[in-house]
Parts: sequence; C-alpha cells; structure tokens
Amino acid sequence: MKKAKLKAHSLIPRNSLAWLLTAQIVVLLPHLPRLPFWVSALWFGCALWRVQIQRMRWGYPGPVFKTLGIVAITAGVWLAERTLIGLDAAVMLLLLLFMFKLLEMRNPRDAIVVIYLGFFIIATAFLFNQSILLTLYQLFSLLVLVAALVGLQQTAGRNDPSRALRAGSILLLQAVPLMVVLFVFFPRIGPLWSVDTPGGSATTGLAESMAPGDVADLARSGELAFRVSFDGPIPAHETLYWRALTLSTFDGRSWNHLDFASRAEPRDWQPVGEPLSYQVTTKATQQPWVFSLRGATSEDERLVLTRDFMLRARRPLSETTSYRATSYLQSMLEPQDLTSTQQRLYTILPLDVDPRSRAFAADLREQYPDDADLVQALLEYFNREPFFYTLRPDTLGANTNDEFLFDTRRGFCAHYAGAMAFVLRAAGIPARIVAGYQGGEINPSGNYVLVHQFDAHAWVEAWLPGQGWVSVDPTYQVAPQRIERGIQQALEGEGSFLEDSPMSAARYRNISWINAARLRWDDINFQWQLRVLGFQADRQSGFFQRWLGTTDWQRIGVILLGCVALVMIPLALWILRPGRLPRDPRRRAWARLDRRLQRLGLQAKRGEGPRAWQARLSEALPGCRVRLDAFFDEYVQQAYASADKVADRAGQARLREYERELRRCLPRRLPRGAISALDTRDLPAESSRL
Amino acid sequence: MIGVRQRASGLFDRWLKRRIPPAPRMTLSHRQIFIVPTRAGLALMLLLLIMLIGAINYQNSLVYGVTFLLGSLFWVSLHHTYRNLASLEVHAAGSTPVFAGELAPLELNLIATRHEHQALLLSWPNSQSRQLDVGKATEARVTLYHPTQRRGWFSPGRLRIETRYPLGWFVAWSLVDLDWQVLVYPRAISLPMPPLGVGGEGAVEQQMVEGTDDFQGLRDYQPGDSRRRLDWRAYSRGQGLHSKIFAEPLQSTQWLDLAHTPGVDLEQRLSHLTGWVMQLELAGKPYGLQVGETRIAPATGERHRDRCLRALALYGSGQ
Repeated sequence: MKKAKLKAHSLIPRNSLAWLLTAQIVVLLPHLPRLPFWVSALWFGCALWRVQIQRMRWGYPGPVFKTLGIVAITAGVWLAERTLIGLDAAVMLLLLLFMFKLLEMRNPRDAIVVIYLGFFIIATAFLFNQSILLTLYQLFSLLVLVAALVGLQQTAGRNDPSRALRAGSILLLQAVPLMVVLFVFFPRIGPLWSVDTPGGSATTGLAESMAPGDVADLARSGELAFRVSFDGPIPAHETLYWRALTLSTFDGRSWNHLDFASRAEPRDWQPVGEPLSYQVTTKATQQPWVFSLRGATSEDERLVLTRDFMLRARRPLSETTSYRATSYLQSMLEPQDLTSTQQRLYTILPLDVDPRSRAFAADLREQYPDDADLVQALLEYFNREPFFYTLRPDTLGANTNDEFLFDTRRGFCAHYAGAMAFVLRAAGIPARIVAGYQGGEINPSGNYVLVHQFDAHAWVEAWLPGQGWVSVDPTYQVAPQRIERGIQQALEGEGSFLEDSPMSAARYRNISWINAARLRWDDINFQWQLRVLGFQADRQSGFFQRWLGTTDWQRIGVILLGCVALVMIPLALWILRPGRLPRDPRRRAWARLDRRLQRLGLQAKRGEGPRAWQARLSEALPGCRVRLDAFFDEYVQQAYASADKVADRAGQARLREYERELRRCLPRRLPRGAISALDTRDLPAESSRL
Repeated sequence: MIGVRQRASGLFDRWLKRRIPPAPRMTLSHRQIFIVPTRAGLALMLLLLIMLIGAINYQNSLVYGVTFLLGSLFWVSLHHTYRNLASLEVHAAGSTPVFAGELAPLELNLIATRHEHQALLLSWPNSQSRQLDVGKATEARVTLYHPTQRRGWFSPGRLRIETRYPLGWFVAWSLVDLDWQVLVYPRAISLPMPPLGVGGEGAVEQQMVEGTDDFQGLRDYQPGDSRRRLDWRAYSRGQGLHSKIFAEPLQSTQWLDLAHTPGVDLEQRLSHLTGWVMQLELAGKPYGLQVGETRIAPATGERHRDRCLRALALYGSGQ
C-alpha cells in the first residue's frame, strides 16, 4: 500500500513528457482535418499549458476549471455534431478528452491512461479511412506510443529518446509474426449488434433520382467506384454497361427509382450468348446497389436478382465487398410480354409537361408503326441533329425535355436518356432509365477494370415485343467516343474533365509515366482492398478452403495452434537467447563448470583464486579429487604459466577433455553434510559478514 | 483472518526458502524469477477486448490488425521483461557496522554477464527503492540503505529485484536472500564520564599499561593504533612507521562495567556504555570493559574499540 503511494507521487520524467506530446500530436493528426478548427486550437492550448506546468510556471487546473472544461467540451461536440450519441460524436468526445487529459496528467499512471487512449484513437481512425497511407502512418503512431511507454519505464535521468524508439521498433517488429497468424486465423464472425456507420448516413455513389434540368455544372470525382477482374479477356469498352438501378417514374422534372418495381423475382428471361464471369470489388457505399453487366446471375448469398434484372445486395454495403457474377450479354429479358401493371408503369407520364416532345412522339409514331423502327429513328434523330455532349449544360425551365430536344441541345447522358425515355413513353413504348457506370479503365498491370465515379452513366431500356427489354444509348449517337474510349476523350477541348480536382492523378492520364505509376498504385490499392480490408468471413473461409483444404473449425483450430506454436516458440527462444559467453576457451570452460557446480550449490567466491577454489571443492567432492586436480592444474598452467594469450589447439582440447571428465564425475546432488564443509564463514575473503 | 494470512505467509516463506536458498552470490534464472502481468497489463487486455468487439461490429480488418498487433506486443513484452532480469549476477559485497537507528549500508555488486539490464528496481519492504541500469559486461556497485532498530546481528531479509522494462505490462521480480549479516551496535548515548575505576574490582596490581601520559618508547606500528600516537617525525625520516608508547598506572585506566552503569533497563545501560566507549576512544584514553562474563582488558585503538562495541552489541544473544 505504502509503495503504491510512493509511486503515485513520482513525477513524469521530462523526456517522457516530450514523447507523450509528440505521440499525442501524431495520433491526433489524421483526425484533425475532419474536425472543426477550434479542436486544433484547443490542442495547442493544452500542450502549451502542459509545458508550462512542467516548467513550474503555471499550476494544474483546479476542479472548477476542470468541470467547466468538461461542460465546454460536451457543448462543443454538440455544436459540431448536433448530437452526443453516435459514432462521430463519441470519437470527437474521446479526442477532446484525450487532449484535456494532458493537463491532468501528474504521475506515470496518468501517462499510461493517455497512451492507452492513444491506442484506442488509432483504432478509431480506421473507421473513417482505411487507405494504405493512413495504415502506414498509424503504424508510425503506434511506434511513437510504444516508445513513450518504454520512456516511462526507463530509469529516470537516463532515459534516452532514441533508445526508447529503437527498443519500441524491435518490440513491434517481433510482434508482427504472431499478429499475422492471429489476423489470418481469428474467426471472423458477423457483427454482434448493429452499429452506426462512420460519417453518419452519408452515402456515396449513385443517386436514386436524376433531374437533368437542375444541373448546371456536373462536378464528378476521380474517386474509384469499383473494380472488376474478369476471368477471361476483358470485353470491349463499349459493351461495358454496368447496371446498378432503374429509374422508372418521371414527375415532370426528375426521374426516380421506384422500389416496388424492382422488389420481386424476375419473371422470365433466357440467358443467351457466351457466359462472362467476373469479380467485382466495391467499397462501402451504404447503398444496396451492386454493379453487374446485362443478364447477370450470381451465386453469392448476399445478393438477389431483382424484377428489373439487377443484382442487388440484401443489406446496404457497409464495408468493402467483393462478389462474383456471371453475365450473358445477349440475354432476352422478359421477351414474352409485360403485365398490364408493368405496361402502365413504364408508359405513364405527367400530363401537363413537354407538349412539343409529345407532338414529336406522335409524329414518329405515325411514321413508324413498328416499335423497333421508332426506337431506331429516334436514335438517328440524336445522331443527325446538332446535339452537343458537355458537362456544363444550361439549366432548363419548366419543360425540360422540350427545351433540351429543340432549343439548347447541350447536355450529358442524363439529358439524352431522360429525353429519349420521355419520347418513347409518349409514343406508347414501355421505357425506363438505367443508371450505372459505363466503361472503365483497363489496368494492364492486372487483368482488371477500374471504374471511377466519373464513369457514371445513364441510358435507356425500351421494351420491344418479341425482344423484351433492349438497351439503347442515345449518348452514343451524340458522342460515340464517350462510349468507345471513355469520358476524358469525349470532353477533350472542353477541359471540364475533373476540373475541380487539379491534383487528381487521373487528370494526367496523358503523361505516360504518371499514368503508369497511377495504375501501379491502383493495383496495390486493389490488392489491399481485396486481401486485407476485404478479409472477412467469406474470404477467410475461401482462404482456408484453398490453402488448408478444409473449413471445419475443429481442424482449423488445430492448425491455428500449430501455427501459433510455430511462430511463438522460435521467437521466444530468440528473444530469450542467452547472451554470448566469453570468447576465451579457458574462461568458457570455467563458466560451464561454474554453471554445473552451481546446481550442486557450490560457488566460487568473489576474488577466490583457482587454487583456493580447488581446495574447497576437493573437500566437498572427495570422489572427484583426481579429476579436479587434473582440470585445475591444466587451467592454472594455461591461464597463468603459458606465455601465449590463447592456448594452442592441443591445449584447448586437453582442457576440454579434463572438463568433460570432471563434469561426468560430478554427482547429481550433494550429500547433506558436504554443504557445511563449505561453510563460508571462516574464510577471510568473506565479505558479507562482519 | 489475520491468523490465516500469517500462516499463508509462513508457508510462502518456507517455500521461498526451498526455492531460493540464501547465498551470498546468485545468478538469476527461471528458478528465481517470478513474472505476472501488472495492473497496466490487465488494463491493456480490457482495452484490447473492447477494440476486438469494435472490430467485430464494424467488420474492420484494420481494427482487427491493431488489436492483434497490440496483443502480440503484450506477449512479446513478457519475454523481454523476463530476459531483462535473467542471467543477472548478484553478489553481496559487504557492509559496515552501524549504531542502532542508523541506516545500515549494504553493498551489492550487480554483474551483467551476458546482456544489458535496464531499469532494475532494488528494494526491501518499507524502505526506499533504488533504480539503476547495468550495461552489458559491466559491473555496478550499489550501496543500499536499510533502517536498523535493534542491536545485534541484523539481517535485512529478502531483497526484491524488480523490473517492468520495457513496456510496464509485466513485472518480473526475484526475492534474493544474500545472507547479509550486519552488526548493529547499541544506540550511543553520551553521559558524563563515570568516576575512575568503576568496577575495577581488586585492581591493585601496580601494573603499567599503555596509557597516554608517560612516554616510554617506540614500537612497530600495528593496525588499529591511534593515528595521534604515530611517530610522524621518524616516518618522515624514512625510518618506517612507529607508534609511541605511553605508560600510565592502572589506576588511571577507565573500567567500564555493565553492572555499575546507571540506566532504567539493560538496553539503556548498554547505550550508555557505548557512548562512553566512543568518548574514551576519541580522547585516546585506555579503557577496559566488563559486560557480564566477557572481560576485555584495557587498551586503546580502533580494533579494541570494535571489540568492545561488538561485545556490547552481542551481549545476551549467546554469541
């Protein structure tokens, strides 16, 4: 009890404090850009105060200040997050308390609390960002925290930051093998209870509605949406229509997704054409949409096939997800007929908008009684008239489609798809808009396609009797290079491609070495997402199946234990390796014998010469007298009487031989009386007694 | 409750004695070293459990990674903490006698035979601890101080050699009994000198003993001779070290006898005698001592003084 008290009064060494301050800023840094500015200011204030406390200039904060501080922190979190519960608020609160703890830190135990909070904060940072760079950075943060922990244990006054850092790195490196084994073998189970996702409910990716008329300037990000690796060769760019969802109602201004229209089993369809198998890896979008080519099927249990022939996840994607799918691109989708509900759903339009488009549709209907001809004629119309593909369209008035089709004629995919679907419906042909992505970038360093957010696309599906749902893309008629080669080519000259993100590497695709480096980096990222971030239950069981040939947990448990032992035992032996014995063979022989004799409770005294030691041993071990004499004579001869510093080989061998004989002759245990014969008290050299 | 605890501690002591028998020299190895997680280590386990639940709930591979890395670090640090104590050689290196109530200096040699040992904490229960490092292949000489209370042979008990290096998650310690014996003299109390010849029973022989007053000649220096009586002049002439011999009649010899010493109890009387011995030695006057059966003939010098003090310290202890 008393000792604990003594400990509580010991102060944090200065060097250790330097470590703690460094560790704190290192740990906080990845969070600071996410948080309001005053958080950084607060950290600076706390650190300054702490340094002043250490310099004995300022005192520790009093209880009133502490209470006020806690209230202020809570209020700050509430102002910033508008709530006190939920992940974001909790993390922010944790960070603020972490800063505040600096002022309260008096003894090593408080310092340990700060370091543990640091460990926790490192882990929480991964909930918001899981990039490779952040991971490397966090490894560094972890190292700094471990070094701070070592600094706390070092002898005060002798603590040396670089030594602490070195000790910390050695420890961390030695911890890696076991970590890898645990990472691979620890059973991945589903969430124990549902948790809210970081960043609130913010979703990324595709929207569930599309209002072409409201968009004046479409800013698109160069962020990666998903990656696809094909089992076979990668199909042509213009066939890569990645379907995600359909927009099936139009309210006069925007096209919207209708959930019930897609919430059922598909009615009838026939796979036609060569199967095309691929694997898609997408990051967490918090949406249920997944991406597939036309005519897709999947055996993945997390996915369902919907009424509108989309693959869809049963739960919104809250983590990096990877799934396999097979597509038959020439499939016939509902070729027989549509139900009357469907017929009505896919031809209905609001009554009071776009009269000119309706008239145009009536004209076309009159000219082309066949639906297929009409669709073809409409596509030709887009091709023939002076339409212009741009990401900077004009905003449109009340009659969006009229103004676009006959006045401005400037727009991007949403305008073309929206206008075409409207005209088709007005002409009585069931039509809907498909939203998803088109194309992608083929990465030559891996057999896969990268699809970015700027590849987002919308096109039209029209239902033709006998053929079912047919995909038509009016954008192709206007800007075929968009479909054949990608959006960057389509926008050459306009300069609107990724104009808001000048730093995005995707902007500089023309410069070959930047592009090569970018693709290489993308490849590394892809492997990272697939193999590390995506290493959850399904990948783990796949891994076991592939490498261990079993998914039986009992057998895996045995293998796990084997692996753990395989990693732990050599490492333990290596860490616990005894240091080196003296080089000199004479001293080595002496040390070996010494160790053996110690087991019998016989020890040479400090400063006792070999002859005195020999005499005492002879007394204690009368049976070995001859061997003792032989060994000690040789030892004394070599150590003191020979001129050379190191004995020759023959001498070494002799000593070794005598030592071996002597050791063989030593008893396992000493008889009781023998110890008292060695009573140390009567020796003048004895120093422990007076 | 207390009885149970006492019995348990008695059992533990006996077990400890079998496991780590007293020896003036010891090399620490798995027989002597105990290791358990500290409170900080247990707190880390709790933290890791929380982080693991977080990793499971958020299905986050990197949180799993951090958790497992720290868990492995915990395991690795166990070995490092153990190694930091293992193969350390501890030698008792002597002590000097003290008066009761003073701090007994206990000297200790720590030898790092194979590798470095960092942040070793040496302590006895209820005494101040001392932290130090021992560099590789070096020897550290440490003097520890232990409070003393009673005269006689004092043994400081088992020394706790402890380390939490490198991470403080484990504490490895050894309880070594270095078989230290420190002679503790009685507490010295200064009283005015008693009249001459107290207890010089039947001291009628007019024998001359070495005194302070009457110069008689020189003799060869013997260790223990007072420095004040050395013949420095002869020494400076290169004639070797000699002591001057003075003679004085026995009557002037101070006899100190326990039986005639005032004091409320034995300890106080011994303390008074101790004080007188110190005073007389300082004054350089010859004195004799009679404590019970033990009789020490009058003389002077450090060796004589130590003999007297030893007799006083061990009086009644059967030694």
